[in-house]
Amino acid sequence: MKSRTNCEGVTRRDCLQLGMGGLIGGGLVGALRAQALAASEGSSRRQAKRCILIWLDGGPTHYETFDPKPDAPLEIRGEFGTLATKVPGVRFSHHMKKLGGIMDRLAVVRSIRHNQGNHGAGNHYMMTGAPPRIPVGCGAFVSFHPSLGSVVSAECGAPEGLPAYFSLPRMSRSGGPNFLGAKHAPFVVSDDPNSSGFRVRDVALPKGLQGERFLGRQDLRKSVDRLLRIQDKTAGDPALALDEFYRQGYQLVTSQEAQKAFDIHQEPDKIRDEYGRNSFGQQALLARRLVDAGVPFVTLYQGGWDHHTDIFKRLNDRLPAFESTIATLIMDLERRGMLDDTLVIALGEFGRTPKVNERGGRDHWSNAMSVMFAGGHTPGGQVIGATDRKGYAAVERVLSPENFVSTIYQKLGINPGKVLYTPEGRPTHLVSDATPIRELMG
Amino acid sequence: MFYQQISPIKFLAWLAVCLTVTDLSADTKLTVYPTQIRLTGKAAYQQLLVSASEDGHELDVTGKASFRSADPKIVQVTEGGRVQSAGDGKGKIVVEFAGQVAEITVESIRSAEVVPISFELQVQPILVNRGCSTGACHGKARGQNGFQLSLLGFDPGFDFAALTREGRGRRLFPADPRRSLLLQKGAGQVAHGGGIRLPVGSEDFETVLRWIAEGAQREVAGEPQLERISLYPEFRMMKPQQEQPLLVTAYYSDGTERDVTLQTQFQSNESVIVGVPKKGLMRAGPIPGEATIMARFMGRIATCNVVIPLEGKVSADLYANLPENNFIDGFVWKKLQLLGITPSDEISDAAFMRRVSIDILGRLPSADEARAFLADKRADKRAHLVDALLQRPEYVDHWASKWMDLLRPNPYRVGIKAVLNYDNWIRENFRQNKPYDQFVADLVTAQGSTWRNGAATLFRDRRSPDEITTMVSRLFLGVRLECAKCHHHPFEKWSQEDFYSLAAYFSRVGRKGTGLSPPISGGEEIIMLAKSGAVRHPITEKELAPRPLFGDAVVIPETEDPRVALVQWMTSPENEYFAEVIVNRIWADLMGRGLVEPVDDLRVTNPPSNGPLLKALAQHLREQKFDLKKLIGTIAKSHVYALSTVPTERNVSDTRNYSRHYRQRLRAEVLLDAITDITEVSDSFSAMPPQSRANQIWTTRVSSLFLDTFGRPNPNQDPPCERMPESTVVQTLHLMNAPNLHNKLTTDAGFVARMAASELPAEKIVEELYLRCYTRLPTAEELVVARQVFEQSKDNRRQATEDLLWALMNTPEFVFKN
Repeated sequence: MKSRTNCEGVTRRDCLQLGMGGLIGGGLVGALRAQALAASEGSSRRQAKRCILIWLDGGPTHYETFDPKPDAPLEIRGEFGTLATKVPGVRFSHHMKKLGGIMDRLAVVRSIRHNQGNHGAGNHYMMTGAPPRIPVGCGAFVSFHPSLGSVVSAECGAPEGLPAYFSLPRMSRSGGPNFLGAKHAPFVVSDDPNSSGFRVRDVALPKGLQGERFLGRQDLRKSVDRLLRIQDKTAGDPALALDEFYRQGYQLVTSQEAQKAFDIHQEPDKIRDEYGRNSFGQQALLARRLVDAGVPFVTLYQGGWDHHTDIFKRLNDRLPAFESTIATLIMDLERRGMLDDTLVIALGEFGRTPKVNERGGRDHWSNAMSVMFAGGHTPGGQVIGATDRKGYAAVERVLSPENFVSTIYQKLGINPGKVLYTPEGRPTHLVSDATPIRELMG
Repeated sequence: MFYQQISPIKFLAWLAVCLTVTDLSADTKLTVYPTQIRLTGKAAYQQLLVSASEDGHELDVTGKASFRSADPKIVQVTEGGRVQSAGDGKGKIVVEFAGQVAEITVESIRSAEVVPISFELQVQPILVNRGCSTGACHGKARGQNGFQLSLLGFDPGFDFAALTREGRGRRLFPADPRRSLLLQKGAGQVAHGGGIRLPVGSEDFETVLRWIAEGAQREVAGEPQLERISLYPEFRMMKPQQEQPLLVTAYYSDGTERDVTLQTQFQSNESVIVGVPKKGLMRAGPIPGEATIMARFMGRIATCNVVIPLEGKVSADLYANLPENNFIDGFVWKKLQLLGITPSDEISDAAFMRRVSIDILGRLPSADEARAFLADKRADKRAHLVDALLQRPEYVDHWASKWMDLLRPNPYRVGIKAVLNYDNWIRENFRQNKPYDQFVADLVTAQGSTWRNGAATLFRDRRSPDEITTMVSRLFLGVRLECAKCHHHPFEKWSQEDFYSLAAYFSRVGRKGTGLSPPISGGEEIIMLAKSGAVRHPITEKELAPRPLFGDAVVIPETEDPRVALVQWMTSPENEYFAEVIVNRIWADLMGRGLVEPVDDLRVTNPPSNGPLLKALAQHLREQKFDLKKLIGTIAKSHVYALSTVPTERNVSDTRNYSRHYRQRLRAEVLLDAITDITEVSDSFSAMPPQSRANQIWTTRVSSLFLDTFGRPNPNQDPPCERMPESTVVQTLHLMNAPNLHNKLTTDAGFVARMAASELPAEKIVEELYLRCYTRLPTAEELVVARQVFEQSKDNRRQATEDLLWALMNTPEFVFKN
């Protein structure tokens, strides 16, 4: 019993898209599309071609990163001091040295807030721009709406044969395609690029198969493939699509250009060291190589930011390497002339509680969070919005997850107000409030 | 059920009714619709449609016919055939075309009476028709820019309040109706995101204007109710590119009727085959096929079925001589004859064996099984094979895992133990071959501990009556009620009241024990009959008694679980949906496409491609007492099942009438198990015993890159749909290069190493590989190619075997069920 809810069925989609158009007098959908087109072509120039989303799963603290509160009482401001950044008047928490040093390239939004204080729901809200439709639990991995990466995959595509949406080293909780269909699910590379034998799975040939033998196999494959293809398009022969995918796959595997993109070992040691010889560092480097090859969306996932206990000790261990990697990534992109059209974003599902709890940790707090932007024509050196003097709540220029995802879509040339149709034929807006954060729009 | 079947008999019967035309010549027949007109009120009108039939083929000639009123003081008619009242009395319209004449009688009453505009009967249809209350605009749940209407006007009270009272009453301005915001926005006189919807001076504009001027009344005294609508024609055989106007008539409780074509929305289910280029007109596309046009007026639905047969004639003998193994074949041949399509050839024994093993067991035959079957000389060996396969244990895992797709809950939500118990319960049902109606009854009425009765997990997962109702109605009735949860179903007749009355059967599902505590949710919960419980209509807040979607509600004693009554209604012979949706699912699995697609969406606006066949299959299943194995066997033994995928000239574009078999990519689990069987190297899955097959995996939390790549439903998604049937480049890359698959080919412990090390000559190895991958022997030509591989790498038989096997597994003959 296949559950042919037909999420990708051509006939049905055709029916729904064309049919709905016809249904309402040819008018509304057409008009909305025209509007959408006008909006995406006219007012909003495409500012970025690709996006690296650094997802800090668990919810990173805003206090110990981008929004320190040195004047708050000890139980709120915590153990860390602050440091001056390159932009006068803007201070970060004291581990954020390298990012502070390139504050002129960054835009930090301190005032995004929402009302979903558990991981499952917070993940969903920030990763899709839609609140979960029903209450979900903390550990939930839910999807009610397509994620950022899946939408970009569907809207932007990638060079032939290349998956358009990568997620390293795992999929984020709500990072799935939902009704866009499984072909817009992320391509997950779970192996550790910091290991010496690392190769991107499936894209690299198995050892011992390179060169002649692989080519011989391809020839052999062609000569044993005797199945009759039904060339008539109306027959909808799925074997033709498979042929096309084999052609693309073959191209990807045999193209030296493409293979280079995946081969992190081509990178000079100096660069690899700069990114940090750890999994996250090398994943960031791989992400850069992937976007360089034309992949429009890469999620760089890092877990373990749910610091309910011993937050200061853990951050002492983690933050220096982490922030150094991100700063390196941004500067590396800039050196290569790619920062202008590559959007780099770092965030988690929410911020953390003002008062340090009795276990020396901070708990979930969705009333305020900080989100870092760089590149993709984002005007640097600015802090947008503010929390109150103790960091309890976003109070100035209060922004929503909808504003956040709309900014990304708009920058990538996707109209956030676009109407999508679910397989049920239900029209749904890509983002319900399609207003981007104007300060971030170049 | 309510399918409007396309039967020639109905077509003729309908012709007989319509033909009131005198003076017919031998070859051309003139049809005018409607045959009688009754116009009520001032400025009432009715469009006439005229068609001429030749050779049983109807052609619209409305534009070419001439119209004349015999009594212009009573009734007038335009050149285009629009009849309008002028005075009271009886009159006559004379229609002429190509020397043929027809007369239509017209009765006109109350022609001078100016009836006040009714909100429900006239204003609301305008808001719907002009797109104001669609889901992408003011009809969406939060409205648009602060102005919300009920979706497609299902809630008149709400819409009336929205117009007259909300927004501090600023939308209407009775003192100067033209200055009403509603009109100014609609006419684009002030900025309106939706553009111009109600152009100044249009009939609709004037109607709304008059309604406001009359005081914007909610109701007109004695106003009738809309009872039903009709769509003309209900059925048409058309030729490519042909056009046919459509007429929609609304019938009211006071016996009056109205031409509402221009206020109706039309939608085609196959707009490439037949489109609706403008209101009230359908146009056939360039290719043959079938389509259903839906007309919707104020929540009422009517449909028109269209068939565009293939050009050219096929002799009736061809169809008469086709083999009929059982009733299925007859129904398919009949449909093919109507469309002028011819069936493909029958497949070979080898191809049959591969196809039927994949379908029934979810695995490829072993080389030995294939050899034995090919050597079998019995004439009825295929039927024997089908019967034998149905008895094998792999049947259980394969079919149970399909049900797991549909039922499997999110383990983070309900807890892993509950998921395991549920899985075991489903597999046990298939092991016993429990009759399907009993299986559903046991599930839907499940009680007890989630640790003891796996079926109870359904109620741990779906906790509120509305959540469980949408699932049960969709899975077991093929009725999608999700829409009706929040608003009137846009493609169906189901209202919110229908939905919540059905949900009321679950009002007394009680729970005790430990509830959900994600992400572990490890506790035990007991599902039982609660003392009380109620479901209320979300708008009226009226408490609703359990009532089925159709048929009569039985009285449920206080002591009885209402779910028992629900199950009795669901599984009763009168409920045709129940059997139809399961036969449709199984048919889709075996044949590559459902008679209805999507398989769980049975409704009049989405008719089956072969209605009589669907009914016959459902009847067959009921006769077999819901024994699914019997149904599967019947399908697999039909001649239609054994048709080739290779098309004939006259069926290449058929994708829904089973004139040929439709290729399907193997399910992820089946493909992985096939590779495992061939290479003799199994995966080690977590939380599974060693040597487990992918078809036995009980939760998607068991990780497998292969299964993820080829797609398996993700119960974390809502809805958990998503068995992607298509291929992707990621899949081909995986098949070509995945380290895991490479290992299966190259490991010392595998089949390849064993073959290479054996004494077998190269030809025998090749033969073994072909039998394992394709269930057939290599052709002479293929043998030549394969031998070359072995000759080229003489000293390395292992490499040659690896390469050949790799190549065979990377072809569509392997990846697809052909």
